[in-house]
Order: sequence, then C-alpha cells, then structure tokens
Amino acid sequence: MKKRSALLLALVLLAACLTGCGAQPAQEDKPLVVAMELAYPPFETKDENGDPSGISVDFSRDFGAYIGREVQIENISWDGLIPALQTGKADMVISSMTITEKRKETVDFSDPYANALLAILANSSSGVESIDDLNQAGMRVAVKTGSTGYFYAQEHLTNAEIIGLPDESACVTEVTQGKADGFLYDQLTVYRNWQQNPDTTMAIFIPFQDVEYWGVAVQKGNNELLGQLNDFIAQYTADGGFDKLSEKYLAEEKTAFDELGFKWFFDLS
Amino acid sequence: MKIRQLFLSDGRRSIPPAAVVLNLLLVCAVLAVVFWLSLRAIGYVFDFSFLGEVRVRLWRGFVMTLALSLCSLVLSLVLGALCAVGQSARVLFVRYLCSVYVKFIRGTPLMMQIYLFFYLLGTAWGIENRFVAGILILSLFEGAYISEIIRGSLLSLDQTQLDAARAVGFTRRQAVVHVVLPQLVARTLPALTGQFASIIKDSSLLSLIAVIELTQTMREISAANFRLFECYLVLGLLYLCLTLPVSFISERLERRFRYEA
Repeated sequence: MKKRSALLLALVLLAACLTGCGAQPAQEDKPLVVAMELAYPPFETKDENGDPSGISVDFSRDFGAYIGREVQIENISWDGLIPALQTGKADMVISSMTITEKRKETVDFSDPYANALLAILANSSSGVESIDDLNQAGMRVAVKTGSTGYFYAQEHLTNAEIIGLPDESACVTEVTQGKADGFLYDQLTVYRNWQQNPDTTMAIFIPFQDVEYWGVAVQKGNNELLGQLNDFIAQYTADGGFDKLSEKYLAEEKTAFDELGFKWFFDLS
Repeated sequence: MKIRQLFLSDGRRSIPPAAVVLNLLLVCAVLAVVFWLSLRAIGYVFDFSFLGEVRVRLWRGFVMTLALSLCSLVLSLVLGALCAVGQSARVLFVRYLCSVYVKFIRGTPLMMQIYLFFYLLGTAWGIENRFVAGILILSLFEGAYISEIIRGSLLSLDQTQLDAARAVGFTRRQAVVHVVLPQLVARTLPALTGQFASIIKDSSLLSLIAVIELTQTMREISAANFRLFECYLVLGLLYLCLTLPVSFISERLERRFRYEA
C-alpha cells in the first residue's frame, strides 16, 4: 500500500512540474530569436568559424540594433522554419522565404524586401530550352521539397515526373548526372551552379512566372513586431542598406546580372 | 494480496492478463498526460482535417514502404547468409572481402551510403530506377547486420556436435541439414524478425533520393500544408502499424525457441 501511494505522489509531482515548466518568462529580457536555414550562401550561411554569416544575418542584426533588442540566430532546417514560428521557438524567419498565399494561411509576412524569380538549371544534353520543354511526359524535374520551385512544379509541370529532394546539392547532382532534366530554383543558385558545371549544365533565365517576393515571416497576429519590421525595411531600403549588403556579399554576381539585364534582388521598383 | 498481484510481478508465476491490461493502460495514460501537458505548454492546436484528402497518397506510400522492406528482407537475407559463411572461408580474399564489407557498412551512416551508392555507383553502373536502387542500397546495408546475426549463431554451435553427428554415421551434408540448420534457424529467427523492424524504419531514409515511400510522402504533404506535427505523428503511427506486429512475432518466436532449445 505504501508503494502505491508513493507512485501516486510521484505522478502528481510529475504533472505539477510539467504544468509549471510550461510558464513563459517575460518577453522583454529575451533576445529576439531569428530562425533561418544556414544552407543558402551568401544569404544564410556560416563563416569559417561556423558562426552564422550572410546577408540575412547582417540584415537581422541591423534590425535588432534598430529596435534595441539582442538578436539570436537559430539554424533550423527548411521544413522546420514555419513550425518554429508556430510553436514560438522563433520570433521571426528571415531565410530567403518567398511570400505565398499558402504560407500566408499559417504565418504573417512583412513587406517584401527582395524579389526572386525562378530559373532552370538544365542538363546540357536534355534539349530543354524553355519551361514548356520541361512540362512533357518523360521529363524529370528536380526540386527542393517545400521550395517555391517545388510548388511551381506541382502546379504547372503536371506532365513531368517531379523528384522532390531534401537539399540543393542533391538537385544539382541529379542534373549534372542526367538523372533529372532540369532543376527549378532561384536565379542566383542556378547561375552559380551553372558557373560550376559549365560542361554538363545550361542555365535558362527566361522568366516564366510573375515576380515573387521575399518577406520576413512572423507568428500570425504578431502585429507589433510586424509594424517595426515594415518601418525598418522602408528606412533600410531608403538608406541604401541593401546596396551595401550586395556590395559586401554579391559584387561579382551583381555585375553579371547587370550584364545579362536581370533585375537585381533588392531592386523592387 | 490480490491488489499486490495486479501491480507487482513476483518473478516466478506468469502475470495475470488483468494485470497486463491494467498496467499497459496506466502506461498509455501517463504518456498521454505528459504529451497533452507538453502540447498545452507550447499552445499548439492540432488539425488533422487534411488527412482525408491525402489518404490515397498515404496508402500508396505505405504499400511502397512495405514492398521496399519485404524485397530488401529477402535480398539482405541471401547477402547476409553468404557473407556469414564467407567470413570463415578458407580463401582469404573472400574472408577479408566479407569482413571489410561488414565493417564498412556497420561503421558508416546509412545516409552517407545512400548518397554514395546512388549517385556514384548507381550512376556509374546505370542503375537509374529509384525503387530498384533503393532496394539494393537497403539490402547492402541490412545484409551486413544480418550477416553478424547469422555468424553469431554459427559460432555458438559447438564443434563437438558435428563430430558426434559424423561419429554416428551422418555424412557432412546430413549433419548440416539435420543438426546444424535446425538449431541455426531456432537461434537466428527471433533476431532476424527483429531486424525486419529495423529494415522498415531504415527504409524511411530512402526519401533522401526521392523514393516515394511513406516518409517521402509525408515530407511532401507537410511541405505543402506546414502541419509538421500532425504529419509526423501520423507517420509514427503508420510505422508502428508495421513494426509492432513484427516485434510481437519476434518476441513470440524468442519465447518458443527458448523452450525448445
């Protein structure tokens, strides 16, 4: 009998502890937690010491300085970014995330701070010259699961076989090896991988969709933070903050894009 | 005394069925409470309404996982048996080949093997079909573990048994068929069944190379609806539907052969 009551007591204590642990500490003294996937140089990446680095990292630190809060970067895989907001593990997501209607059902987005267009990295012997060439039976399209290219392919490339992979390097490998005929991703990544694999790949930059924008995602209903973000983005753009970031991280690509006549990421005009 | 029996095992008598049910229910209740409290703490609201739309895709993924696992089980069994014998082969090349294979496979993560075999060996040797490549990779991986299971049973057989069989006039072949094999089966079957549960779980990593099995299906679904927790909870339950019966059978076999041995 004694043991039973001891067990009961233990259960009650466990339950009490768990409810107690659920209480949240006060908001103000906590740092601002920014979630991103550090796997997309030069926007979100790590420096040689393994510390977060890149355009989005500088951007969030500048925002932190603007509102006077310390910024803590959390490296979370792409699939886990929106759930991190939902569960309050992060205050905002700055991870080159495109604003989509679908994502808007789950999170709120700031004003756009950059634009992004999809491009095609095609296998050079696939004969693919446009997006229509990819939308044929027998064509295999590699996409990163959950990326904008993935949703575009699901919706528009209904005749092709869609190969959803967990990371960009696998998608690029599929194309260079001819396991996939094309990889749908943003212009910058496509440009860089084309430069790396000039013999096996071709880059197709003909725009095939409406311009899409990157935004900062916050938990649904967090209007206070959203207001601060929108004020900051407007001022940062006006002060040339994004130009400085381009100069620091993407000088070479900016020149190449200008020569090709593409709109630059931060040119929202 | 009666209440005591419901909660405590005295180690000799078998546990009464009422006690089994009661205590299992208690365990489930405690787990449910912990889970519920955790959910309340993070303030997450579940929404499983999407399951209706995706049930056909889930079913296909489920069947795919089962097919992958069954094919890999057969193939890895063959591979494992050959390798177990090979590890004590008299031809040294064969012996070291098997030994290096087992050490390499068991010493490296499956994820790395999947990428290596699919993109390097698969491409070099023209294995383009993802389903076939998936089965081959998984069989290579599990074959090394099965080889060790079989080798362990082989080593546990006493050499004197063979001598005795020969002494009573069995040929070498007869000795293997009537003396070695029955014991080998009895000793390896429970562990092999357990390994099958591992194969089912390990097959989830084939989602890395876009084999549309259960995990890949769920990854695609959660990528579209962001219901990560709901998706992975359902995923866990579906895997349990496969692995729980298998581990139940494994336990039964273990008990049965223990009595006979």
